Amino acid sequence: MAAWLVRRVAASIAIVLAVVTLTFVLVHLAPGTPFLPPPETPADPAVTARLRAQFHLDEPIPVQYIAYLGQLARGNLGLSFALRRPVADALAEAVPNTLLLAGAALLLDFLLGLALGVYQALRVHRLPDIILGNATLFIYSFPTFWLGLILVLVFGEWLRWFPVAGVGDPVLCPAADSLRCVIDRLWHLTLPALTLGLVGAAGTARFQRAAMLEVAGQDYIRTARAKGARERRVVLRHQLRNALLSFITRFGLAFPFLLTGAVLIETIFAWPGMGRLATDAILRRDYPVVTAAALLASTLVVLGNLLADVLLAVADPRLRVPAHA
Amino acid sequence: MTLPTWLALLVALALAGAAARAVRRRFFRHPTATWGVGILAFFAIVAVAAPLVAPFDPREQLDIIRLKNQPPSWTYMLGTDVYSRDLWSRVVFGARVSLVVGGLGTLVAVTLGATVGAVAGYYRRWADAVLMRGVDVGLALPRIFVLLMAIALWDRLSLPVLVLTIGLTSWFGTSRLVRAEVLSLRERDFVAAARALGAGPARVILRHVLPNAAAPIIVSATLGIGNVLLLEAGLSFLGIGVAPPTASWGSMIADGAPTLATAPWTTLFPGLAIALVVMALNAVGDGLRDALDPRREDT
Amino acid sequence: MLGAMRATFLLLIAVATLASCERPGGCTGAYCGTLVFVSPGEPDILLPPVSQQVSTRDIGDQIFLKLADIGPSTNTIGDEDFQPQLAERWEWDGPTTLVFHVDPRARWHDGQPVTAADVAFTFDAYNDPAVASPFRNALRRVASVTARDSATAVVRFRERYPEMFFDAVYHMRILPAHLLRGVPRDQWKTAAFGRQPVGDGPYRFVSWHAGQSLELQADSTFFLGRPAIRRLIWRFTPNVPVAVTQLVAGEGDALEYLGTPDNVSRVRAAQQMTLYPYRGSSYGYLGFNLTVNGDTTQPHPIFGDRQVRRALTMAVDRARLLTSVFGDLAKVPPGPMSQLWWIWDPEIRQLPFDTVQAARVLASHGWRDSDHDGIRDRAGQRLSFHVLVPSTSGVRKQYARLLQEQFRTVGVQMEIDEVEPSVFQERAGAGRFDAALFGWTTDPSPSSGLVQLWSRSGFGGSNFLRYDNATYDQLVERATGGVLTREQARTTWRRAIETINDDAPAIFLFAPDGVAAIHSRVADVNVRPDSWWALVRTWRIPPDRLIDRDRVER
Repeated sequence: MAAWLVRRVAASIAIVLAVVTLTFVLVHLAPGTPFLPPPETPADPAVTARLRAQFHLDEPIPVQYIAYLGQLARGNLGLSFALRRPVADALAEAVPNTLLLAGAALLLDFLLGLALGVYQALRVHRLPDIILGNATLFIYSFPTFWLGLILVLVFGEWLRWFPVAGVGDPVLCPAADSLRCVIDRLWHLTLPALTLGLVGAAGTARFQRAAMLEVAGQDYIRTARAKGARERRVVLRHQLRNALLSFITRFGLAFPFLLTGAVLIETIFAWPGMGRLATDAILRRDYPVVTAAALLASTLVVLGNLLADVLLAVADPRLRVPAHA
Repeated sequence: MTLPTWLALLVALALAGAAARAVRRRFFRHPTATWGVGILAFFAIVAVAAPLVAPFDPREQLDIIRLKNQPPSWTYMLGTDVYSRDLWSRVVFGARVSLVVGGLGTLVAVTLGATVGAVAGYYRRWADAVLMRGVDVGLALPRIFVLLMAIALWDRLSLPVLVLTIGLTSWFGTSRLVRAEVLSLRERDFVAAARALGAGPARVILRHVLPNAAAPIIVSATLGIGNVLLLEAGLSFLGIGVAPPTASWGSMIADGAPTLATAPWTTLFPGLAIALVVMALNAVGDGLRDALDPRREDT
Repeated sequence: MLGAMRATFLLLIAVATLASCERPGGCTGAYCGTLVFVSPGEPDILLPPVSQQVSTRDIGDQIFLKLADIGPSTNTIGDEDFQPQLAERWEWDGPTTLVFHVDPRARWHDGQPVTAADVAFTFDAYNDPAVASPFRNALRRVASVTARDSATAVVRFRERYPEMFFDAVYHMRILPAHLLRGVPRDQWKTAAFGRQPVGDGPYRFVSWHAGQSLELQADSTFFLGRPAIRRLIWRFTPNVPVAVTQLVAGEGDALEYLGTPDNVSRVRAAQQMTLYPYRGSSYGYLGFNLTVNGDTTQPHPIFGDRQVRRALTMAVDRARLLTSVFGDLAKVPPGPMSQLWWIWDPEIRQLPFDTVQAARVLASHGWRDSDHDGIRDRAGQRLSFHVLVPSTSGVRKQYARLLQEQFRTVGVQMEIDEVEPSVFQERAGAGRFDAALFGWTTDPSPSSGLVQLWSRSGFGGSNFLRYDNATYDQLVERATGGVLTREQARTTWRRAIETINDDAPAIFLFAPDGVAAIHSRVADVNVRPDSWWALVRTWRIPPDRLIDRDRVER
């Protein structure tokens, strides 16, 4: 196990390095320059040239790449061209926001999805199952950003139940330093988390229902039933536990994608998270932020993979031999 | 709406219903899968017969002052958008773009993924290691970043390039799936027999292994089209995607978003179209999975 | 199980009730008030010399002072219409020397007095190439700024021209030398000062939560009068429609630019807002590239021909397009100008809308539809071109689609290339485009814009179209240099604009009106067209109109 872990970690580092290199090259080759003035303002070419020189952007790309690697090795993520501050600072502020959103969405996804899936499996082929089955199928097919727009329109504008955008109320609660402000944060979190979580929950429900029904036919379940245990205990203990295993795998693999997949949601809800930071950086050719975001995202992906494999190995003794060599 | 338009629409509905009923008689046990086939057939027929079904030219700006952002009415079934174009006509022609991008993009992705997965699974050892690490890198790259940047490399995105780009970034999951199938299949007797008879690796893969791995590939492809559709919608919403004035469902949502509060129908109907098609694809995919996989029991 | 659920539910209710309990009391009187600006843009750095963001200007207006500020007439000629700010008075010491007397009451927010040394330091910084300030070019005619003593700053110019005073005061916000002297000039663009600025203006900086909000608090000892509104909060939103939604929902108090008739009608329907129109400072046009890839020896195959350009201009119904996009919230500009400029004159000679004439001219120049595909052609080449549009401008995207239709009806094919703004700028600068939809936000003065964009000196700079007309250059030089009376200047400018209109290097499409939405409880509102929130310190909220936001003590 230890040897396998070391090999996986080494491979993971190689993958992250490959991702960062690819991103670096792509973003430097893309047409369009950084250091542009805001729209509808004429640019002064002398200023742009000066800024490019100050950031060494006119040197050949391999030279810049080596310099960047050296900088990374010293733990310096560089200075953002557009945000005018260290990239690490910008990321440090953005990542918690994305984690909050992704975490809330995942929680909703997991709890609601599992509950629905279990409920459907218990009532399989009867009316509640059919209705819920079609409803989850429908919701699962929504484009998430479209769902977000609809939710904002209905709950934010028409009903005024939830705020339309932003992380919190800047007048009363610029920082979450009191109970009231925490609740304000949660209130602002509701619509974006709902948007991300509902579609995910629908998918989880479908998946869990299928997984639980598949497990239902297995031998050990029949054995438990033959032993006379009550139906409910049979379900809850055996089926749930095994279905949980597959959720853990999905969780480990899905979490990093929630971070970058939240781009559209963050744009619609003005959520200052990593997805928006990265997208804006790509649009503005803010090279240091783009490569740092790619670095962070790919690290999270490989960590997620690693975590999923380790969790599975811990949870299921049969799997202590690695799944993919 | 003129008489020929109504007739064309009714014909499309009838054909869709017939397709669904025919399919049902075979081996699907899901009513949902049948509905799915019906919906897909409807959209496919409508897309093909677009010039007949659409009452207006989708690019025609009917009256940019008086017919801007009009709610649904008898003449304009789904209303008009901000450029006074008939929404129903645009949805109909948009079906062509979205379905073509979805279908072709998935074709590219599945072909590439199946090839890579088959080679990795068949040859194993270093080919497998190299290719699968490549897949890992591909999966580790945040998809939307890669697309944004790949799209940034071309000044203007034409339809073929869009299809290619989407295909080239969507094949990783399929390759893993195919690899797993090939790994288990290559130990089977019929493969050993084929090799004993002197068949080369390509022949073995193409004629013996892949056809038996077809089932999961087909299911993955069907579900994949849905993902590509959603991806194309998201890209158009971000402003990169099909060039105007071509209608695509995603760009229609993007066009309507600024006036969401005052003209919600411009955003509602294209999104609904996407949801319906993706839902149909998911339902059909589920049905196919159950029908083609004999190992699975009642679901 | 059920008992646990009931208990949880009751607990949640209790928590919610406790949390929503209002604290009674709070601020009362004339100096309360919290104004929330919903801003579609966020500053990059609050150090004025290195930032061009509009929001930096808006916030900078509250934190920093200029020597003198433009008056309500936004007249930029001479010095009569300017109002003292940091300088309490000034006099002319010769034709090219201006002497400012710094107000002795002025203080930095950390307590230090503001001196003439700060003024001299500021000019030195703005002018330093290492700072790479975008405003350096605007100050090119200022030779030096020195401190004669601690209260007197002397500005020397290279030459005498009508807008000397404007150049001396408008572009620079005076900076604290004692805090910025130690920062190396080439690090100014990322200086930490820019995230925690210390100024001398009516409001002091409190906090900035990146991507979310920024807070300023009134300086009660401000020497020009204590601001009545106690707190200013900027709330950052992604775009204008979301900002409007926040206004309508009561989450914000002010938005400077509503833009479209949709937004205006939504705000009008919200009872608590009042609309304030003002002269808009932007304009947009479809520019024709007169060369191939910026090479002036190779005229563009289609747009190199003046008559063809004139025909294309006449083919577009600008008024109808304007009504579709803006309703009644914009005007068709009589040339490359915004409504803010004093030279605005609807009587300036322009090309009329005349599709018959346009078709005739095109046909007479050989552009006929010989293969009946709906597109004109000549010697095998189709009358087809690509237009570059930045993907971030909703208005220009709309115009692109409308123009496409307009051109199609006269047999001209226009294809739309929507590209990212950075690509747009790059291709425009290099001349790699056929046509492009440009939009500019202007200074109150016509001088910089009309020179940078349309004269030979703008080659390699902002004259992307490579428009070159010696007559125009001479007229502009006469209007901006020397000493003319206002009427003479107006006539000269008019002749210059008419020269451009006759050559038709671009179709001038829109000059939007400004409409700001501000909460009705605010009194004494004054929106200055060149810098919307410059006069916020003179606004007030009467004590009988305070709402919850205003009363919060924090």
